[in-house]
Amino acid sequence: MITGARQGKPFALHRLLAAAMARDLGTFVIPGPDIARAHGLDIEAAGLHRVTSPRHASVLLVIGTVPPALCEAAAVIYAQMVRPRAIIALGTDELSPLPAADVMANLSQQALIKGVRELRSAFAEGAFYPEVSDFDAPVLQVRIEYTCPMHPEIVRDEPGSCPKCGMNLVLREAQAKAGHLHTDHQEMGANMDMETASTHAHGSHHSIDHGALVEYTCPMHPEVVQDEPGSCPKCGMDLVPRDAPPESSHEHHQMTHDEPVEYTCPMHPEVVQDEPGSCPKCGMDLVPRDALAESSHEHHHMTHDEPVESCPMHPEVVQDEPGSCPKCGMNLEPRETQNKQSHKHSGMDHNGMDSDMDHSSMDHGDMAFMSMIDVTKDLPRSGDGLPMEWIEAPFGPFFPGLPSGLLLTLTLDGDTVAGSNARSLIENRELLQSSSMDTGSFVEQLTSFDPLAPVTYRYLACRVLENIAGMDVSANTAYARIGALERERIASHLGWLALFAQQTGFDWLMRRTASLQLKFQHADLEQIVALKPAILTLTKRLQRTPLLKSRMAGVGLLATDATLRGPVARATGIGDDARSADKVCTTLGFKTVSRKTGDALARLHVRLDEIIHSLALIEAAGAIELPVPAIIGEISGTGEAVVETPRGVARLRLTLEMGKVTTAQLDTPSTHHLALINPLIEQQELGDALLAVSSLDLSPWEVRQ
Amino acid sequence: MTTVLLLLLLAVGAYLVAVLEDWTVSGRFRLTAPVLAGIALLGRESIVPRKPDRIFFEVAPFLLLISAILAAAVVPLTPDLIITDMATGALFINAALVYVLVALLMAGWGPDGAYAMIGGWRFLGQLIAYAMLIVMPITAVVMRAESLLTTQVVVSQAGVWNIIYQPLGFILFFIAAMALAFLPPFDLTTSKGELAGGVEAEYAGVRLAVFRLGRLALIITLAAATVIFYLGGWQGPLLPPWAWSTIKILAVTTIMLLAGRYMPRIREADLLAWCWMLGIPLALLNILLVGVLVLVFP
Amino acid sequence: MTAQMFFIGFFGLAGVWFGIVVFRTFSMVRSALALLFSQTALGAMFLSMQAEFLGVLQIMMMATEMSIMAIFMVMFMMDPGGLGEMDMTHQKRLSLGAGIVSFVAAVAVAVFVDWGPVASVSPDAAQQTIDLGLELLGRSMLIFETAGITILTAMIAATAVAIQPVKRTREQ
Repeated sequence: MITGARQGKPFALHRLLAAAMARDLGTFVIPGPDIARAHGLDIEAAGLHRVTSPRHASVLLVIGTVPPALCEAAAVIYAQMVRPRAIIALGTDELSPLPAADVMANLSQQALIKGVRELRSAFAEGAFYPEVSDFDAPVLQVRIEYTCPMHPEIVRDEPGSCPKCGMNLVLREAQAKAGHLHTDHQEMGANMDMETASTHAHGSHHSIDHGALVEYTCPMHPEVVQDEPGSCPKCGMDLVPRDAPPESSHEHHQMTHDEPVEYTCPMHPEVVQDEPGSCPKCGMDLVPRDALAESSHEHHHMTHDEPVESCPMHPEVVQDEPGSCPKCGMNLEPRETQNKQSHKHSGMDHNGMDSDMDHSSMDHGDMAFMSMIDVTKDLPRSGDGLPMEWIEAPFGPFFPGLPSGLLLTLTLDGDTVAGSNARSLIENRELLQSSSMDTGSFVEQLTSFDPLAPVTYRYLACRVLENIAGMDVSANTAYARIGALERERIASHLGWLALFAQQTGFDWLMRRTASLQLKFQHADLEQIVALKPAILTLTKRLQRTPLLKSRMAGVGLLATDATLRGPVARATGIGDDARSADKVCTTLGFKTVSRKTGDALARLHVRLDEIIHSLALIEAAGAIELPVPAIIGEISGTGEAVVETPRGVARLRLTLEMGKVTTAQLDTPSTHHLALINPLIEQQELGDALLAVSSLDLSPWEVRQ
Repeated sequence: MTTVLLLLLLAVGAYLVAVLEDWTVSGRFRLTAPVLAGIALLGRESIVPRKPDRIFFEVAPFLLLISAILAAAVVPLTPDLIITDMATGALFINAALVYVLVALLMAGWGPDGAYAMIGGWRFLGQLIAYAMLIVMPITAVVMRAESLLTTQVVVSQAGVWNIIYQPLGFILFFIAAMALAFLPPFDLTTSKGELAGGVEAEYAGVRLAVFRLGRLALIITLAAATVIFYLGGWQGPLLPPWAWSTIKILAVTTIMLLAGRYMPRIREADLLAWCWMLGIPLALLNILLVGVLVLVFP
Repeated sequence: MTAQMFFIGFFGLAGVWFGIVVFRTFSMVRSALALLFSQTALGAMFLSMQAEFLGVLQIMMMATEMSIMAIFMVMFMMDPGGLGEMDMTHQKRLSLGAGIVSFVAAVAVAVFVDWGPVASVSPDAAQQTIDLGLELLGRSMLIFETAGITILTAMIAATAVAIQPVKRTREQ
């Protein structure tokens, strides 16, 4: 039996189904395919096929040690997978809160292949089981709460109606455990409740201040305003309290109390009478006047007695002098002001402000149309000027088109990004495991710091130690180390290409670059030279790929900025590269690659050029050798070093005491780039926004705050 | 009898599309993979998301399948092998396929998930782009045939196939057909990298199986429509009509499935802009050209 | 004949039922799609009355139109899912009255008008389309078609003129 078996007796039919399922294992990879490739795993070759939605997955593949925050997110993914489901863990047994893995194996391709074989037989035998247990984890605990669809700030523990608008509160599930923001909105849309989907995730609704003057109005008919609670005479909804605008309220209230209420038509303001009734022009119910008076309070007084000029098409355009409408350019026409004055000559109003053609023919009989404009007029507008429903949707931490571990929470306005929050779920891991750490294990620690660039960080650690000790490595070793660094740069850029291709559905590129990345990772000099034609073909092919340019040009535009690092900076024309200050590199013929436009396309070109340039550097270096930490003895001191990682400059500062590392400060490129995301994607269409984020090539593993 | 036979053929066609799609995606030609995947889907739980619009969620996959089947009903494979030779056949194909949009809207709205919802609405935006490019090339095709009967459309191409007679119309229709079948690079609605599956993301088990079957039927139907409108339908030398239909439909399907692998997904804004600013003028030009041709060479 | 009557009745009732559903749901999307299916049922009625062209046209046009309406409802309504169960209807008595009066009027027209002799066989679909065109447009066919194109051109031109020149943020 597998842990996530589906309930059912092992009948013949079930056995047939199980056999088919064992041959068709949709796999969701934790933390993600980028990490799988970084560990040299080829998931497809092992017979698993990757899926992008947990609903379609039957296998959860966990690779390596997964940080706790990611483990919790993985538990949510697992809960969303449909039964039968199984877990296969490579190189780790720390899965909590996930259940124990059905198959465990080492972190290698052979072990994976063997593990998949085991998994197949486990599936074929145990996919159905008479008794199954539920999977539960603290992270899945939900608290039921009730909220108003129109007022997201109203949250109650019990059902009821909204104190603001009287609508029925709607059930919503929330994370029981406090303090874990990310799990609040669970990864896939499945658990995104409709409340989130249909509320505006912004705080534009003013909260009730009980001290203030409160008046009651209908959420649908803002022209209905009264001093006491009750229901709307138009639609029967409960009136909602709202603050009277502080300045005008007093005046307005006096007005209401002192003067008899008059009734007017919302569409034909020239129709004013003392009693309720229907409009003689359009038949709509007349509304009490003070509502209108309140909404157009200011210009009321301004335009008290004289006729004003107004646009026949845009009644809201009102000015004192003749001219043309700023909205449509039509000539303004004189009209009677819509104030108290007008009811005195209401007899002649039928020929008043609006020509008959606008309204009577247009069948605007429905009040709601008008009110909706009023209701939405204070909502924040997006770039296109339309007030729309805003939804908040999490993208990550296992989103197929983004680096794994990155949680991007987007506030979407339609499919335009209205706001965003990006953070890494793996940030700020301890560099030092204890207060003092011996240098050898520190180098190992830093090697595993970022699985996307292990050699580079290993090199960085070695360099700092050598700097502190004042040691120099021989020229040959230095060259060979550059060879290893550049090899990793090629692999990393290829990995980025694979991610980009995955996001944009460019299937061929994804397969090609993924397989090249796997080949490059541990290639020796000969193999790299042999792979060179493949790389050249790839870049040539990308030059003439249809739609590629239009997809990327102008997306994720960044101006020259000091916070930019690496290829992102070089794509804006900054010739900033730590390697140009490194004598070893310059002797090998290093030249900075750069582009001018600063968009995603420029970043793609910079990375492609760097791949080719790195090939040349490796050939010039003539050897590839991983950095080995020098034996420095029991020295003390402080020192730092920089290295150009595939993502930009990283700087490490160490303090040694008696040969032990006591403090370590690391500055990484992704830390700076993470902060770019918000301004970069604001008001971008979703596809462009995701492309802009992925074009930064973030590594969530190296983010430090 | 013909109906049953054609429905069977449609099922076989859907299976072949699945094999071809598996081949274009995985690079391996496996005849059993789609069958296994189908059976496996039947074995999985088919859960309903927590707060769905239940009616939409349940109806959408079937509506997708039904609209594809209805469109297939007026497609002739041989002069006699057609479910119903409607007098408005060429128009009816379009009418039936519009409900693909309705199905995807429902599938997007139903499960109460952000990705699915955006996927659904994206498809509507896409439709606004390509809808004219389906109708207007068909107009030019029926102008030549002087009939809306699909069989008559095929017969009208006895001399010269429409792909030669009106190449512009063929290109526009082919692109629009790919967009209607939401095949890459037009897979805005089910994109894996941008929406983790979009409208498909929340479906699982049996419901997903129906949804995917509907999509496969849609692809084969559109390929068949392309064949009867532009590639002379069952006509061809030596081989019997049914063989020509099969060969042509499978060839068109393969091209449709392969094209998207070699390019990134189109930007939604670009699709709209190109379709309206370039596609529609070209389609009008195509109608004009065909009109002149029809008058000059009757 | 009975089968035909059955389908006409069935689709008629379906159309009415979906029409009622439009007002009986709180969800904007359901409301829009109910209207769509109501119109589709009308199209199916045309089909069962052997008016093929009209039926297919109705079925085709309504799907797009109502879907576009649905997206506008979702865009501009505060609670498109209808979770708050807010009543969106207005002036119920007036609309009910208007609805009943028009229904009675329509039935009266259907019953009391002299429709002439009943055709035993309906003309084939192609002939129907020709007849329909002649019936609607008569000799003015060419004029109307020219007018149609002219209006389309005018619409496109008007839109083009009305759009403010947008500063392009994307460098192409």
